[in-house]
Amino acid sequence: MRRRIALDGGRLALALIILILVYQVVIPLLMVIWTSLKIERPGEAGFFELSFSLANYVRAFSSGDFWRATWNTLCFALTSTLLSFGLGTFLAWLVHRTNTPLARLIGIITLGRIIIPGILITVAWIFMASPSIGILNSILGVRGLFNIYSFWGMVWVHSLEMTPLAYLLLSAALQSMDPRLEEASQVAGAGHWSTLIRISLPLVLPAVGAALMLLVIYTVETFEVPLLLGGRAHVRVYTTEIYYNTARTPTDWGLSGAYSMAILVLCAVLLAVYFRLVRHGERYQTVTGKDFRPRRLDLGRWRYVTCGLGLFLVFLITGIPFLVMLYASFLARYQPPSLQAFQNMSLSNYWEILHDWAYSLYPLWNSTLVGLGTATAVMLLVSAMSYFVHKTRLPGRKLLDFLGFAPIAIPSVVLGTAFLWFYLLVPVPVIGTLKIIGLAYVTRYMAVALRFVSSSMLQIHSELEEAAVVAGGRWLTNFRRVYLPLLRPGLMAGWFWVMVHAYRELTIALMLARSQNRTAAVVIYDLWDNGSFPQLSAFGVLIFALLIVLVVIGQAVGKQFGVQEQL
Amino acid sequence: MKNFTAFLQSIVALIALLMMDSSVLLHAAAAPSPAEQLFAELAKLKPEQRTKRLEEGARMEGKLNFIHTFRGKLARDQVKLFEKRYPFVKVEMADMGSQDAAERLIAEETARRHLTDVVSLAVPDLPVILKQDLLANYPTPATGRIPKKFHGFIDKENRWLPWYWSEHGVSYNTNLIPPDKAPKDWQDLCNPAYKGQVSFDPPETRFMVGLYVLMGEEKFKGWLKCMGENQPIIQRGHTQRMNLMLAGDHAIQGDNFLYAGAQAKKKDPKTPYAIVYSAPILAYAGAMVVNKNTQHPHASALFSDWTLSDESQKYVADEFRSPLIGRHPYLPDDATVVPFGYVSDEIVNRLHAYWNQYIGKKK
Repeated sequence: MRRRIALDGGRLALALIILILVYQVVIPLLMVIWTSLKIERPGEAGFFELSFSLANYVRAFSSGDFWRATWNTLCFALTSTLLSFGLGTFLAWLVHRTNTPLARLIGIITLGRIIIPGILITVAWIFMASPSIGILNSILGVRGLFNIYSFWGMVWVHSLEMTPLAYLLLSAALQSMDPRLEEASQVAGAGHWSTLIRISLPLVLPAVGAALMLLVIYTVETFEVPLLLGGRAHVRVYTTEIYYNTARTPTDWGLSGAYSMAILVLCAVLLAVYFRLVRHGERYQTVTGKDFRPRRLDLGRWRYVTCGLGLFLVFLITGIPFLVMLYASFLARYQPPSLQAFQNMSLSNYWEILHDWAYSLYPLWNSTLVGLGTATAVMLLVSAMSYFVHKTRLPGRKLLDFLGFAPIAIPSVVLGTAFLWFYLLVPVPVIGTLKIIGLAYVTRYMAVALRFVSSSMLQIHSELEEAAVVAGGRWLTNFRRVYLPLLRPGLMAGWFWVMVHAYRELTIALMLARSQNRTAAVVIYDLWDNGSFPQLSAFGVLIFALLIVLVVIGQAVGKQFGVQEQL
Repeated sequence: MKNFTAFLQSIVALIALLMMDSSVLLHAAAAPSPAEQLFAELAKLKPEQRTKRLEEGARMEGKLNFIHTFRGKLARDQVKLFEKRYPFVKVEMADMGSQDAAERLIAEETARRHLTDVVSLAVPDLPVILKQDLLANYPTPATGRIPKKFHGFIDKENRWLPWYWSEHGVSYNTNLIPPDKAPKDWQDLCNPAYKGQVSFDPPETRFMVGLYVLMGEEKFKGWLKCMGENQPIIQRGHTQRMNLMLAGDHAIQGDNFLYAGAQAKKKDPKTPYAIVYSAPILAYAGAMVVNKNTQHPHASALFSDWTLSDESQKYVADEFRSPLIGRHPYLPDDATVVPFGYVSDEIVNRLHAYWNQYIGKKK
């Protein structure tokens, strides 16, 4: 049962959240809307005058090419979403709800994929399945058998990219599930698969809905894969169409703004569907006052099959890109594997990076600070937001959710510009510091983090807080001691996701970078731009190692405080 | 609700303030700025007196905020050379793409935050800044060092100072095409023998303007038409395309910077790379532009002039970029170079339309 906010602490927290949302979301959003309605560019006479035009919208949506790209996007989004959702759900179930051998290893390797820089992943698959130099085609001796430059090549690479997100969202939900309903199903004679499909998955419907929604939006927004693979296959999707129409000097901010508004509308529609899906929040409340521990299914001899399948999948998801990255990191220039290539391997790329430590390690430190700070701030913020959205009857709570989710519709380049402009105009001394990047990241990652936490929040029964209130607990105490501990699976998963993405995010970091606030992603881009793919690979291996250490430390620290969940 | 009203009021106030600011900025554009007055005054001095004044002034200013369009280590090491030569000037440098650099300068100046003193920009990216009159008129004797063959890069109104040039040209993978069967000029890329083997970036204004200057509009159109029929590979990313070609993914770079392959070949002589020297090389200048409202005018001038010094030009050549002064690191002296700058928006729009017609929309 939802409660009305009556406690001062709660009201104060709510006021604070609204202020933060206005500052972090509403202002950039207003800037995007404003730009989309102006013919003049920022800086030109008339840009700030109160005269508006729909010309950008007409330009954006009147072209037949745009609508063809939209159709391609829909096909791309649906196929990629289904594939990545299927793979992610299977892996999450295998790792968290079965007695599959090596399950934990499979889970860790799945997440290792998120750490590898995106540029390297796509390039790794080009080297694997290019029709002319693809390793797979060489092994099979059939030139062109596999062609990564195709619609299905795009779907394949992007689906593998998105699988860890589906895995993380479903993992958090599966870890917070009371097994009694599943046991009841099996007592009633249902088999493992029937129980999974008819009981387990419906119980995690909020997480399923969140995963599907995020996967669709991420696919609509994705840029690297369609550009690098789809461009060559003549498959234009929404983002590449936008790119081709706006990537001329000077940047067409008005047109970019109009396109952003279209994505915003899509987000609003998907969010409405999601709310409808989870409108009976009480149905998903599996975390109650009764103690439970999610039960692992005994798969019998099938557990070896699931183990083999799991290892094969994580080899595809993480293993191949990592091995290509590792291989390239020892080369002077990239060349397909051969005896000569192996003979010429050296550690010179690592030496050059480590030798110039001020250039490469200082940005790593910056990224570590931004990653840890952003992840922690975002998770705390969205936890409180999620509480007000799902556990209270406040009027306008869905608006709160919409505002938290809206930034996902703002392309990074537009968001970066909005923050740059805002802090140029407002005398807050953050330009050139890590703070401005951190602030932009809070907005950027709020949407995904909110879905992680909301899925977990819906699973928590309100009776727990009611008991705490009866026992005299104040709002902040109850929130800190009841909700935050029970939200751990979602919090941990979201924290990891935000931390790693803040570490590798490039567009905003580039736009806000100055001499003292360069991040690791900026170094990655520099290495890429200067043509050093092998050196970039070496840097990627170093980042991979560093993030693994950070995650291990994070888990160790978590355990000290009683956090037992594994990512 | 009160909070919301207050928020709306503050937004309106902010917008009103900005409207006033932009009008002030535009109004102020006509008059010479203090920095421009200083530069005009310095231009009347003899070279040695001018240098002395610049050094004294820069010593007092002690700082320079610079945006470089060279990236990473390449940019930083060049700035280090300057700081070694003039240790009394501390350079705060950001590095980014030329277009982003232009956008940032516009944003800062519109907000009346004069945070950047000097920017290195590709000349074809200058129109957007020129329209807003953000660049200082900076006459300097340093242009006297630029050889005659590059005088086309010099601006008569002294709004930019060219200091290196970038090259677009044809190159190929020698493992896939032996030299005797390689293309000899741009037109050869239409040869059906190279069908599906020639790569380009998505439509790039700079490249198309270069070809337009080389061929003229009608020939350029014809070339695009036959190129389109030859099923070119369109893939974004100069570096990536070069890496892929060197790895054997395809045979020819229809348009790319030539230095990346030349640099790779220097590092590993077995790299299967060759440049088609007989195809004219399209060249545009990289230029230093000084912010009209620079807060460090002496340091800005000192740094801009230094980029044309022997020390800086040698650095450019050592890094396989194209210097304006001295020997080119890999191009022969008799290579045909076609310099170009920027053209009108109307022409640019037409060139993009041709690309879309013949190449961009082909399936």
